[in-house]
Amino acid sequence: MRAVIAEDSVLLRDGLTRLLGDNGIEVVGSCETAEALLANVRELSPDVAIVDVRLPPTHNDEGLRAALEIRAHEPSTAVLVLSQYVEVGLAMKLLADSADGAGYLLKDRIGDVRDFIAAVRRVADGGSAIDPLIVSTLLSKRRSVDPLESLTPREREVLELMAEGRSNQGIAEKLVITVRAVEKYVSSIFGKLDLPSSGTDSRRVLAVLLYLRA
Amino acid sequence: MALPSVTHDPGVSAGRRPKPWVLLACALGGIVAAVLSILMALKNEAVHGELGHPLVVVILVNTITVSYILCGTVAWWRRPSSHFGPLMIAAGGVNFLATLSWATNDLLYTVGQALDLLAPVVFLHAFLAFPTGRLRPRSVRALVAVAYVAAVGLEVVRMALGGFGPHNLLEVTNRPEAGAVVAQVQYLVVGACCLVGVGVLAARRRREGPPLHTSLTLLVDAFALGLVMIAVLFVSQALEGPALQQIRWAAFVTLALAPVAFLAGLLRDRLARTAIAELFVELRKDPAPADLRDALARALHDPSLTLAHWLPEFGCYADDEGMRVDLPAEDAPREATVIRDHHGDRVAALIHDPGLAEEPELLAGVTAAAAIALENSRLQSELRARLQDLRGSRARVFEAGTRERQRLERNLHDGAQQRLIALSLELGVLEAELDSPDASRSIDHARGEIATSLEELREIARGLHPAVVTAHGLEVALEQLAARAPVPVQLTVTMEGRLPDPLEVAAFYLVSECLANVGRYASASTATVDVSTAGGGVSVEVIDDGVGGADPERGTGLRGLADRVEALDGRLRIWSPVGGGTRVRAEMPCAR
Repeated sequence: MRAVIAEDSVLLRDGLTRLLGDNGIEVVGSCETAEALLANVRELSPDVAIVDVRLPPTHNDEGLRAALEIRAHEPSTAVLVLSQYVEVGLAMKLLADSADGAGYLLKDRIGDVRDFIAAVRRVADGGSAIDPLIVSTLLSKRRSVDPLESLTPREREVLELMAEGRSNQGIAEKLVITVRAVEKYVSSIFGKLDLPSSGTDSRRVLAVLLYLRA
Repeated sequence: MALPSVTHDPGVSAGRRPKPWVLLACALGGIVAAVLSILMALKNEAVHGELGHPLVVVILVNTITVSYILCGTVAWWRRPSSHFGPLMIAAGGVNFLATLSWATNDLLYTVGQALDLLAPVVFLHAFLAFPTGRLRPRSVRALVAVAYVAAVGLEVVRMALGGFGPHNLLEVTNRPEAGAVVAQVQYLVVGACCLVGVGVLAARRRREGPPLHTSLTLLVDAFALGLVMIAVLFVSQALEGPALQQIRWAAFVTLALAPVAFLAGLLRDRLARTAIAELFVELRKDPAPADLRDALARALHDPSLTLAHWLPEFGCYADDEGMRVDLPAEDAPREATVIRDHHGDRVAALIHDPGLAEEPELLAGVTAAAAIALENSRLQSELRARLQDLRGSRARVFEAGTRERQRLERNLHDGAQQRLIALSLELGVLEAELDSPDASRSIDHARGEIATSLEELREIARGLHPAVVTAHGLEVALEQLAARAPVPVQLTVTMEGRLPDPLEVAAFYLVSECLANVGRYASASTATVDVSTAGGGVSVEVIDDGVGGADPERGTGLRGLADRVEALDGRLRIWSPVGGGTRVRAEMPCAR
């Protein structure tokens, strides 16, 4: 698995390179700017680009724009956006009409090596990784009529993990239950929320996020 | 720089107003003099023979005395700044002294006879000196001087030549034939001077245009007629023409009526007051009108009026267009009145028809009104400038604060936050390398601490500056606010592209604070947030259905928001009736 990194902090860039290398993900390119990132991606066609949302020169939205550019024009490269703040609006902007091969995580998540590496792999494989903070923000959003209230606590947990982009297998491991049990919860949730059941995990992510956002 | 030649300054002239007892003495003196004069005439047999119809002449002459002294007294009282009043009193006085020639006492007779022709010349002097009481230009002064010399000098010479009877103390020799020749010369010279005086009056009218008011026209006509009558009388006397008696009577009546015309002019003061009242009504509607000059010109009935503003930094006057204006010189056919503020500093000057000197009340009132209007407009523009300054400095202070907070946020982001993340990453790597459950637990704990620190730093950074707004725009940032709001929020954002950062940040804080308030106080069940660009600016409206009764003066939240909005030249309005929910609306213009 090959990755490129765009991060302007040397400390983090080196740390990430080492971390990914130690976990079997080869960092084929690392750079500081969005421009260099796009060149790297076009040239190296990595499986995944890990992008800091705040890049030089203005430290505004260069990173995000580069990520959207890759999503639009380099379908073979998945994008994982890292940021020191997570915003529902930014997540929706990044996903637009598909959660395939897209991730948006708080930078803090790097410290949880196992989870972070799993998220990188998931995104690189065409799945998605949405920060738990975004999911919890959406779940806690006040609604006048709230169908989420009809969910059992367990179903809520499953919904949360599902929205983060985890597969049924991943959810089962996280909650220490069987995959069959997860499947049962999932179909119950879809029934209660009146969501059409959909194929892939990432399509499921988008459907849930859009539902929660509304 | 030509300084004002004549300054009709109401404040100054008021100080020179004569004492009431002086005026009273003048008036009584005039009446007493007339009575004495009549008594003298009645006692003196010789007067009968000389004058023919003595009673008519005596009464007419004394009417002139009383008329001039009384009118002069009124003029002095009403126009203390003009020498015209005292000059009229003097004319009346001299007219009385001339009647001393009716006395039987030698000394009195001699004085009276010597001053016999002085009175007509004083009339000439007074008429030509109208309205200021000064003789201008020099040629007019020379004319009057010649007339004085002819009237008094030649009279003394004539008396020295004898033929005046037993009371003449000046008689040196008795040659009445020579005296008659001198008398002829004397009459002709004084008569000619009077005719030239009429010419001067006519030339003045031609040069200055017709006087502003019909009463003034009448007055000047009365003066001219008086001079003509004196001239006719003297020429007739010199040439021993016919109907001398009738001419004499007509001349006396004309001379007696001139001061009455002057009094009629004084009555115009009432009209002046009306004009001033109208001006004040006009100024009340617009205390600093752009066409102040026109308003003043209307009030003064002087369409040729110039309003010249004093420019202290240039030391000169300028008109509305900024063109330099010099005040008229001594002999110019215009006059200037300087307008001063309450400190006594000049602020402007009115350059007007000299005839207005005849209406000092009007001029003083209009000048005062102009001073108020000018002061008003100066204060207004000063206030505007200060307000502009204040607005500018508030915006600068606000901007400097914003920049500083943005810098701190950036430092936090690039410094402490990155280092903590890197540290957390190192710990993760270390954990994998150690592969020991005990170490793993400790490292997990340390990472948890780091996560908490990062969360706290994030909160601080967000409080310093909403980087998301600057980086990704108001719409993205508002979605997060709405998602985390304490009540369901209906968010509508209608924006075309990005707005200047300060506007977006202000709108963000506004919505953030309002939604926080909804959670804290409103007990609302829903809220709507409406943000839209309007004319390059932005309008923000947050409405909840809570308990209302929010008071901007209580607590710093709403006040702080108002400050933030006003620093951007915007306006914040709050409607919060008790029980009726709260509506906060801010409009911020773009142009800055």
